[in-house]
Amino acid sequence: MKITFPNMGSAIYAFKALLEPLGADVVFPPPVTKETIDLGVKYSPEFVCFPFKVNVGDFIRSIESGVTNLITATDFGPCRFGFYHAIQERILRDLGYDFRMIALPQGDLLEFKWIKTLDEVCEYTGLKKLSAAWKGVRLFLIKAKLIEDIENAEGKYRCREVNRGDTDRIKRELLEKLDATKRLKDLRNFRNVIHEEFQKMDMDMSFEPLKVFLTGEIHVTLEPYVNRDLKKKLGKLGCEVTQTLSLHDWIMHKFHVNFHRKEMAHLARPHMPLDIGGEAVWVLGEYIWAATHGYDGFFHLYPFTCMPEITARGIITNKLLKEYDLPPLFVSLDENLAEAGLITRLEAMVDLMHGKRKKKNEYKQKLNAFMDSEKQDYLANQQQHK
Amino acid sequence: MVRVGIPRALLYFKFFPLWKKFLDELGCEVVLSPKTNQKILEKGVEIGFNELCLPIKLYYGHMAKLLDKYPDLDYVFIPRYIALDTKGFYCPKFLSLPDAMKANFHDMPPVLEWEVNSKQNLKAVWAIAFGRQLGMPTTRIMDAYSKAVHYYKEYHEVLRKGVPVPDALESVEKGEPFPDPSEIEEKPLTIFVLGHPYNTFEEFTNMSMMEKIQEMGANVLALENLPERVFEHRVKVSDKFDNYWGNEQDILQASNYFYNSGADEIDGVIFLISFACGPDSLIAEIVMRDMKDRGVPYMSLILDEHSGNAGLMTRIETFVEMIKRKKLMEVTH
Repeated sequence: MKITFPNMGSAIYAFKALLEPLGADVVFPPPVTKETIDLGVKYSPEFVCFPFKVNVGDFIRSIESGVTNLITATDFGPCRFGFYHAIQERILRDLGYDFRMIALPQGDLLEFKWIKTLDEVCEYTGLKKLSAAWKGVRLFLIKAKLIEDIENAEGKYRCREVNRGDTDRIKRELLEKLDATKRLKDLRNFRNVIHEEFQKMDMDMSFEPLKVFLTGEIHVTLEPYVNRDLKKKLGKLGCEVTQTLSLHDWIMHKFHVNFHRKEMAHLARPHMPLDIGGEAVWVLGEYIWAATHGYDGFFHLYPFTCMPEITARGIITNKLLKEYDLPPLFVSLDENLAEAGLITRLEAMVDLMHGKRKKKNEYKQKLNAFMDSEKQDYLANQQQHK
Repeated sequence: MVRVGIPRALLYFKFFPLWKKFLDELGCEVVLSPKTNQKILEKGVEIGFNELCLPIKLYYGHMAKLLDKYPDLDYVFIPRYIALDTKGFYCPKFLSLPDAMKANFHDMPPVLEWEVNSKQNLKAVWAIAFGRQLGMPTTRIMDAYSKAVHYYKEYHEVLRKGVPVPDALESVEKGEPFPDPSEIEEKPLTIFVLGHPYNTFEEFTNMSMMEKIQEMGANVLALENLPERVFEHRVKVSDKFDNYWGNEQDILQASNYFYNSGADEIDGVIFLISFACGPDSLIAEIVMRDMKDRGVPYMSLILDEHSGNAGLMTRIETFVEMIKRKKLMEVTH
């Protein structure tokens, strides 16, 4: 059974790890390109959010390349995501395609509704099925964590690389290596491999980058074509990118064991007491966290008219910005985003952050000088008293 | 007497009788912002961030107007409707409405927040929690709430008899008895206007569309006028999957009703959507495809702050005219 799923950055390697042990022949979706987006925009409702359109494009291209089993996640939360698969299925059926849509419920993973879906996909019977599913889930979680590690390292080291393109190459190689590793045993040491590979790279360790925090809606933040590879652009402009958002982060949250997200929700509680879907609550929490941990800037990516994220944006611009004074840049993504415009905005933002940091440093120096003189005065006084 | 201000926007069009009766019984004086006008709209567009939907922008405008007009308010009433049944959710913008308002209006009077989340508790429990904010004893709150629920049922019965929603709301506001349903003259066409009450009955933004359709010689049917049996069952969007949006539920139920049994009762459907409405962007797709399958003429009208009267009128006229011709063809052939 050939099976595929929509694109979501490097998270596709984790999905493959989940489905392959079940005996399915996993095919990666064709990478997102202009063609995908054009197809999606053509057949989707007019002002639905952007990930919907990209997914429709992905599905059409997958079906046309001969893969007719599509698996996609679904939710039961307040945002539009829960309706995705139902309406996408209807649109594709009306277009006359013959396919099978399999929904993977992720509303609350501790309800274990997803087991039924895995059962549906699995090719084996009896005990083999059980062991296959167990292996799939473990591989999925471990690989998702490793992908997160690779992406974190990428964000951290790209601004320091001496030879342009080293980080991309290492990331690509590591992901390929990860994809080729099929056994749990071989993954034990992989974390160290990631570390070593990045340490081998030529780096300018004296460089002091700007520290920025990148977050937003999960699909657009993880899929590099959709966000025009914002992370890479920031790295090239000399910013060290922190991004806690990843597939692993999300899955752990859905298993109720993500303590990072719990902390963020706690920070955001005075401003938004409940989860309203998307990443709104955690975006607020992360904004506060980043502002109190010495970050220079905050980048928020969201699809155009995304309901939860624009609420979060409203609260940041109207309230939190005045309280915490961390410069945010909001990028609203849709099919009409022009790359040149985005680059201009990024450059302006980087300039602003440099200016702000300079001011901060000057203030710090002044403060230090003042403190030193005070200290000397105090010491001199003490001397006199003696 | 405690004065409570309510902005005349959003869920006002749906739940106002309930709120009004409840607050009256608790001994509060309810004041409303004036009806929407150009200034309120402009103010809302100015305050609200541009990607927000039109009803939310109007809510901002009404809130600003309310605070401006009544500076001596004791409380501002902002509902937080999370879920009205165990499976559902409201749109995220409703879920965070008080937070968004608090973030925008910094020096507003204390907020009376009515949170309703049937996933966690009974509606009456939430009503008690709401009344406690006013420092009322529980027995009195219970009493007031049961009266309010009764009144709200009565209100819906009156609507089902055919009283237009704006008239009924006006009588609620003045504290008068409900108006009697006027004699409906039989017209050859019946057009069903689908949409959220804050779009269909907001006469400023939809340019009194309902009246204009009536002037063109068609009866207008709204969600509120449909019989109760339409709203009995949950709607399935696909084989295994239910709709979860609370404020889309009745729209889907109505569209389902006309898809299954009641297609002969109406001649056309107009779906009023406000621009950037998240739920409607998907629901409209379902309704459109359903109606197409069934062969019912369907048109969606998207409202925003730039809607022009002429353009809207042309589209409605064309639609009505087209249906008239279709009927004529059916008769002659």
